[in-house]
Amino acid sequence: MQKKGIVDAGRSMLDARRNRKSRIEEVPFSSNCVRLSGYEWIFVGIVASALFCFGPTLWERLEKFEPAPDYRIPYELSSDYWLYSRYCRWATSKYETLVIGDSVIWGHYVPQHNTLSHYLNEIAGRNQFANLGVDGIHPVALAGLLRYYGRDISAKNIILHFNPLWMSSPKHDLQIKKEHHFNHPKLVPQFIPNIPCYKALYSKRISTVIERYVPFLNWASHLNITYFQSMDTPMWTLEHPYKNPLEAVTFQLPTSDNYDKSRRTSRSGRGTARDTTQWVELQISLQWSFFQQSVELLKARGNNVFVLVGPFNEHMLKNESIGTYRKMKSKIEVWLQQNNIAYYMPQTLPSEWYVDASHPLSKGYAMLAKQLFENESFRSSILAPSLKLWSVGDSSGCNLASSDAKKAGDISLDF
Amino acid sequence: MLFHTWPFALFFIIIYPAYLALKNTKLRLPWLLAASYFFYACFNPLYLILISYSTLLDYTVVMKMAKSARRKMWLSISIANNLGLLGFFKYGGFVTDNLNLLLSSLGIPYVLPAPGILLPIGISFYIFQSMSYTIDYYRGNIERETSLIRYATFVSLFPRLLAGPIERAKNLLPQLHKTPRVSIQDIVDGLSLFVVGFFKKVALADYMALYVDKVYDAPEQFQAPALVLATFLFSWQIYFDFSGYTDMARGVARMMGFRLMLNFNNPYLATGLGDFWSRWHISLSSWFKDYVYIPLGGNRKGKFNTYKNMFLTMVISGLWHGAAWTFVTWGALHGLGRFCTRELERTSFYKERIPKVAKQLLVFVFVSFAWIFFRAATISDAWVIVTRIFSSGLANPYCPLLALALTFAVWLYQFAYESRFKWVLELRPVRVGIVLLLVFYLAVFAPASEKAFIYLQF
Repeated sequence: MQKKGIVDAGRSMLDARRNRKSRIEEVPFSSNCVRLSGYEWIFVGIVASALFCFGPTLWERLEKFEPAPDYRIPYELSSDYWLYSRYCRWATSKYETLVIGDSVIWGHYVPQHNTLSHYLNEIAGRNQFANLGVDGIHPVALAGLLRYYGRDISAKNIILHFNPLWMSSPKHDLQIKKEHHFNHPKLVPQFIPNIPCYKALYSKRISTVIERYVPFLNWASHLNITYFQSMDTPMWTLEHPYKNPLEAVTFQLPTSDNYDKSRRTSRSGRGTARDTTQWVELQISLQWSFFQQSVELLKARGNNVFVLVGPFNEHMLKNESIGTYRKMKSKIEVWLQQNNIAYYMPQTLPSEWYVDASHPLSKGYAMLAKQLFENESFRSSILAPSLKLWSVGDSSGCNLASSDAKKAGDISLDF
Repeated sequence: MLFHTWPFALFFIIIYPAYLALKNTKLRLPWLLAASYFFYACFNPLYLILISYSTLLDYTVVMKMAKSARRKMWLSISIANNLGLLGFFKYGGFVTDNLNLLLSSLGIPYVLPAPGILLPIGISFYIFQSMSYTIDYYRGNIERETSLIRYATFVSLFPRLLAGPIERAKNLLPQLHKTPRVSIQDIVDGLSLFVVGFFKKVALADYMALYVDKVYDAPEQFQAPALVLATFLFSWQIYFDFSGYTDMARGVARMMGFRLMLNFNNPYLATGLGDFWSRWHISLSSWFKDYVYIPLGGNRKGKFNTYKNMFLTMVISGLWHGAAWTFVTWGALHGLGRFCTRELERTSFYKERIPKVAKQLLVFVFVSFAWIFFRAATISDAWVIVTRIFSSGLANPYCPLLALALTFAVWLYQFAYESRFKWVLELRPVRVGIVLLLVFYLAVFAPASEKAFIYLQF
């Protein structure tokens, strides 16, 4: 009897288990046929990995990128970091010296044949300097750009521009606590150190960090920026409802040279009053700290770094602000000397050669190029390998072809 | 932390290996519960107070029910508590607004203060799940769950916490009892479900939303073609959004060894409204059937009562979706539609003479018409849309052809799936090719979407 009871209990347990199992099995898988086996997923994984790994490289073969002299990343592609990375690779292989910085180097108010790198090339008599400036990028973002997208910049001469404008107020220095929208937020540190005015959601920050390390994602945003007017494809189709998105992908990079043409006159010409600037202390400045990081990063990658500080438009400052600015400059100078970094701190340019606080007009760039070529530190650190080819001040060696550069040469320099 | 965002990917990458490592130990359930609570707290840590309270109360109620002869009283406590929570958090504002309207229409110069309470995400889903446990226990359909941790995991299991499926205790609790077997096939099945859901949400639903939002945010600026297309696209948007969420939820759960119920079964291929509701949000429809329609009397007391119960169930279902008259109207429209079509659907003329595609089209048009009230911000907006559809001009709708083409492709796929050509879709090159296309489209063309799921607001 007892044995029978045990058997029955065991049987009922088995039945219960079977019922439970069958009930779970009954749940339909899906309402479609997209169900792959392990091997099929492996195949998909291999194809997808090949696409992820080789897609961007293959794309480079299809999309020709042969920049002309004086090329700069077009204004509308400023956020195309994949293209910037590609440009870095190209410029590193073609040019001896790369000029890196923000809109001052890029030439926000001037066409591409009136930028600093253009005039430097003009004086050098050959294409020695490449314009790797990015419009509107501040030093915090520039540090990110060099770290994540400028990995190919190594063993080169670098002219790194320091624009004091970014320390001219806590807001410029990204120190304010209230949310402030600034250019290139994807390049700033997403978590540590904290950028007080950067308030993006954590999910967005995480995706930004991941994007930095996955070239495929950068390539996908290159497609959006280059061919879909910086929109994603769905948004682009909303603007162009009856166009085929595939037709928009022409494999032709934009060659436009858009720049800000709204201000062609100098700041003094517009009669703007002098300002009191709230300079941020160097020790607490985010911009300065990230600028230092950029210098160290470039040096660690075997580059020969030359720092160009300013020239800031002191004409727009009131006397007390000028005093603070000069003190700050001397502290910067001390740090550069202590770290054995070649530098040049030009005197402020004539007032009529500035558009605003930091952007020179064409004549200003020409003048700056000339001053650099006359600077001993610049000659020894940047020009030394090719000094034999020409000599500054010797009219036979110095090619001042453009009228702007010639005019700049006529001006007595106040060093 | 939504399924289609990087934070969820990171979360899952961290908790999943640990789950696999712990699944044969006693720490499996505590780990699962901790992960689920962490997942929920990422939206707002205060939500944990509410879910813990609801869980603890229903667990205690069932415990008391097991020991007491006054089972009905304990059941009433549970139902009152759950409906009270829903009423307070979900309908507080709605009730206050309507009372104020009533007071003002009666000329009483008193305004009730707005409660200003934020609706906790997923509350309608986990409260319904928890309620089903107490009701099922009361009815003697299930055993009492003795472990609080297991019961809390049942209520809060993270893949289904935010928007269902609303699982029944008799399906999910047994799965939590046994040690899950996670085979390679479970993992790849989960991946298949997840990829399809991800595509539905990111590539389709969020794409449709661009056009739908543009039109529905300013309906008076658009004419009939745009309004009709936006309405049809919204029908697909809400389907892709919600079924995409469910697919991802089921995929994640499957990778962990759990089998959640099928919630959508190609609803726009339904040939009648009854058929539609057996394919749309199945877990909710069956919940309402079991816990509202049948207790009301179901179809047992004559035709009039059957239709009355059906209508009431649909109105309550509308109200469940949101505290607004638009949802009530949507539910009522479906109730009326069901009332009008139920008899028709039973006639041999409808069954045999009307082509299947025509029936599907009729159902789709009716369901889409009802969605106008669901989607519009207010009843007056919905009315503007309806009137403009029939009275405005025929201006160019500027609707993206790509969105229409993608929708048509999905419809064609579903149509083939339910036809005699299903075997073509089952061919290996077709299945693998589709997955490759989905992955490629997602990687290259889909936006980095962080748009929330529509059903999270319910």
